[in-house]
Amino acid sequence: MRGVLSFAALLAAAGLVNAAEVTFYKQISPIVYHSCAPCHRPGEAGPFPLLSYEDVKKHATQIAAVTKRRYMPPWLPEAGHGDFRDEQRLTDAQIRIITEWVQEGAAAGNPADEGPLPKFTLGWQLGTPDLVVQAQRPYALRADGPDEYWNFVLPLKLESTRWVKAIEIRPGNARAVHHANVLIDRSRSARMEEKTPGAGFPGMDLNIEADTFDPDSHFLFWKPGGIPWEEPDGMAWRADPSTDLVLNVHMQPTGKAELVQPSVGLYFTDHPGTTLPMLVQLEHDGALDIPAGAKDFLVSDDFTVPMDMDVLAVYPHAHYLGHVLEGYATLPDGSRKWLIRIPDWDVNWQAVYRYREPVFLPKGSVISMRFHYDNSDANLRNPNHPARRVRGGNQATDEMGHLWLQVLPRGSGDRRMELQEALMRHRLEKYPEDFSAHFNLGALELARGNTAEATAHLRAAVEARPDQPVALNTLGAALLTAGDAGDATGMFERALGVNAQYTNARYNLANALAEQQQWEQAAAQFRQVLSESPNDDGARNHLGEVLRLWGNDMAAAGRMEDAAAHYRESLRFRQDDAALHSDLGTVLARLGRFREAVPEFETAVRLDPNLETAKQNLQAARARLEQTGERGTVQ
Amino acid sequence: MRWLRFLLLCAAAATGFGAVSGTLDLEGKTVDPFAAAAKVRVFLFVRTDCPVSNRYAPELRRVSDEFASRGVVFSIVYADPSETAANIRRHMEEYSFPGAAIRDPAHLLVHRAKATITPEAAVFSATGQLLYHGRIDNRYVEIGKAMASPTRHDLEDAIAAALDGRPQPEASAPAVGCSLADVE
Repeated sequence: MRGVLSFAALLAAAGLVNAAEVTFYKQISPIVYHSCAPCHRPGEAGPFPLLSYEDVKKHATQIAAVTKRRYMPPWLPEAGHGDFRDEQRLTDAQIRIITEWVQEGAAAGNPADEGPLPKFTLGWQLGTPDLVVQAQRPYALRADGPDEYWNFVLPLKLESTRWVKAIEIRPGNARAVHHANVLIDRSRSARMEEKTPGAGFPGMDLNIEADTFDPDSHFLFWKPGGIPWEEPDGMAWRADPSTDLVLNVHMQPTGKAELVQPSVGLYFTDHPGTTLPMLVQLEHDGALDIPAGAKDFLVSDDFTVPMDMDVLAVYPHAHYLGHVLEGYATLPDGSRKWLIRIPDWDVNWQAVYRYREPVFLPKGSVISMRFHYDNSDANLRNPNHPARRVRGGNQATDEMGHLWLQVLPRGSGDRRMELQEALMRHRLEKYPEDFSAHFNLGALELARGNTAEATAHLRAAVEARPDQPVALNTLGAALLTAGDAGDATGMFERALGVNAQYTNARYNLANALAEQQQWEQAAAQFRQVLSESPNDDGARNHLGEVLRLWGNDMAAAGRMEDAAAHYRESLRFRQDDAALHSDLGTVLARLGRFREAVPEFETAVRLDPNLETAKQNLQAARARLEQTGERGTVQ
Repeated sequence: MRWLRFLLLCAAAATGFGAVSGTLDLEGKTVDPFAAAAKVRVFLFVRTDCPVSNRYAPELRRVSDEFASRGVVFSIVYADPSETAANIRRHMEEYSFPGAAIRDPAHLLVHRAKATITPEAAVFSATGQLLYHGRIDNRYVEIGKAMASPTRHDLEDAIAAALDGRPQPEASAPAVGCSLADVE
């Protein structure tokens, strides 16, 4: 007996047999609570809870099967191809012990062996947000049918600019929502896609137009069980009062009708963004034209980085035909650095992956994207049976191939423009007539003050998309900056012809008209701007100025009544303008309306005691008022 | 438990005919799932906590609507003994499952239908002979791996063959979903 025992102990020590039976409480519960329970608990995405022996026992066979094929926990990247935070991969040993446990009958064991139960936070994982914005209307998801992709537009309605260090997305229906992406829409361009305000609009991906250089810089992403990402100090992003968030949501029917009404929570910080990252996109959608039945169709892109940089995170994206997705960098010394490799892409489990340590890429490194697509009938995820030719596009039946990287350029100052320029020039190599490349280069040159180059690129952009209001507006702005107010007016009018609610274009049109001294039209446009956007200080100031200049013209032409009316309206926007009060007084005095002129001069002198003309005119007007007595006016 | 197993053996010994004891309605009363007259009897095995069988609810409703007027009786079978009647009622209603709910806590019907997975269907003849058991269609290949729409409708084919008195089509691949043995 003694000999047998020691032999067993020897085997156990050598790892050849288990010294003890595998039980839930001893070996299984730590794995389940760490790797499964964050999603498999009430209120979260997992379709059933895994918080006790009873819960796990009910799904034991299933758990053994899905962990064995690494379907659960969902984690797509191949080991050794990028070192990521919050990795959800089980070890081979963990998978083996789960299988063994289930094969041996899924014993509970001794509850005393169980470690502490995990503590989970219900609802907002980062605590109560500083601001919560909810979709205006829930989306009604059908009980059955294909996956659906919906965009909710969420106006932030902030009173002042804030810096956002984190966002958290609550899907509003965790069982139906598979993942969600937030896009920052500073120009409120996504609203134009909505049939009625707040209605949202369909689409798997979307393009946000921007009319200032403000490149995307952060991945704002939600997946089930994901831990909300909090930016380090100095990496916050800016939210303006006019910013809209667009929430792009992937939903899967559950078998019953579901309502999906997501919310986004924002967490603010007083530390503005001083470290300026940028999102770099590799893609070649133009080459995405996959013949029916093609088993291995390759889409590639290579981008040479124009500066030293650190890669912080990566987000590969394809639809249902994507199979093997690779991203890597070739360094100037010829060595290869893997950024990510996904051997069996599944759009359902797409995610943003953040590197444990930033990946340094020296200037001259080439980032490569190699995406392989399977458009054969053998690809079960193929949305088309029989397979058909598939091209690039935003719908689920179209395909896509994007490798997004969040990068931080090294060196002093804001180097994003440099990087943006390199990206857009690379884009023009792929697509010489590309709208977004021309548009972005145009906007960039405009920001630099190179109006001639800006105008050329923007004209090419407008050529590519003649009905794109943001491009028309930006071209107008370039022309106006170059001093061509007449052509600029035409562009703004075209932009408004496409979208009459485009307030920025109307504001620019008003300025262009003012530039041409077309006071009446300019004032009318500014008034319209203020009716659309009552707190627009720029419009208020400019309208005041236009009315004043219009008044001056009228006064010079001897039309004193009109002049007085314009000055009076102008004063609504500039009550503390001493000279304007004085001018109004003068015009009224010329009309002989001394009773009205006197208080204007008095206000002017009170506001500016050194305004000599006002002082003299005040004395003169008082004198005339005494002469004319009670009547107050002299013809 | 031994007592129930004994009854099952009796039922099996009776060459597939007759009542299976131990199946209950939602009031807790014993019901014979084979009692009501039917040309063809279809049992659909589900779990309230199985996302795959939930996802099939609209398809089961569709198949049931298609055959309801032709003497096909559908029943939804809940085999998890820990499942309460209240939960089952709510589940039936939320997902609009067709037919009546039957509780099978002792897995008598499960064994007779040779069901192992939810969702799984079993098609019996009017005389209680098991004609088909298995998947509803070929939409799911594995858990989490599904086609946009199925290309083969196994359950519909099986019912149609049963109604026409034709031989059953070739048995296709096994059903995909959650284990029934885990809730024994």
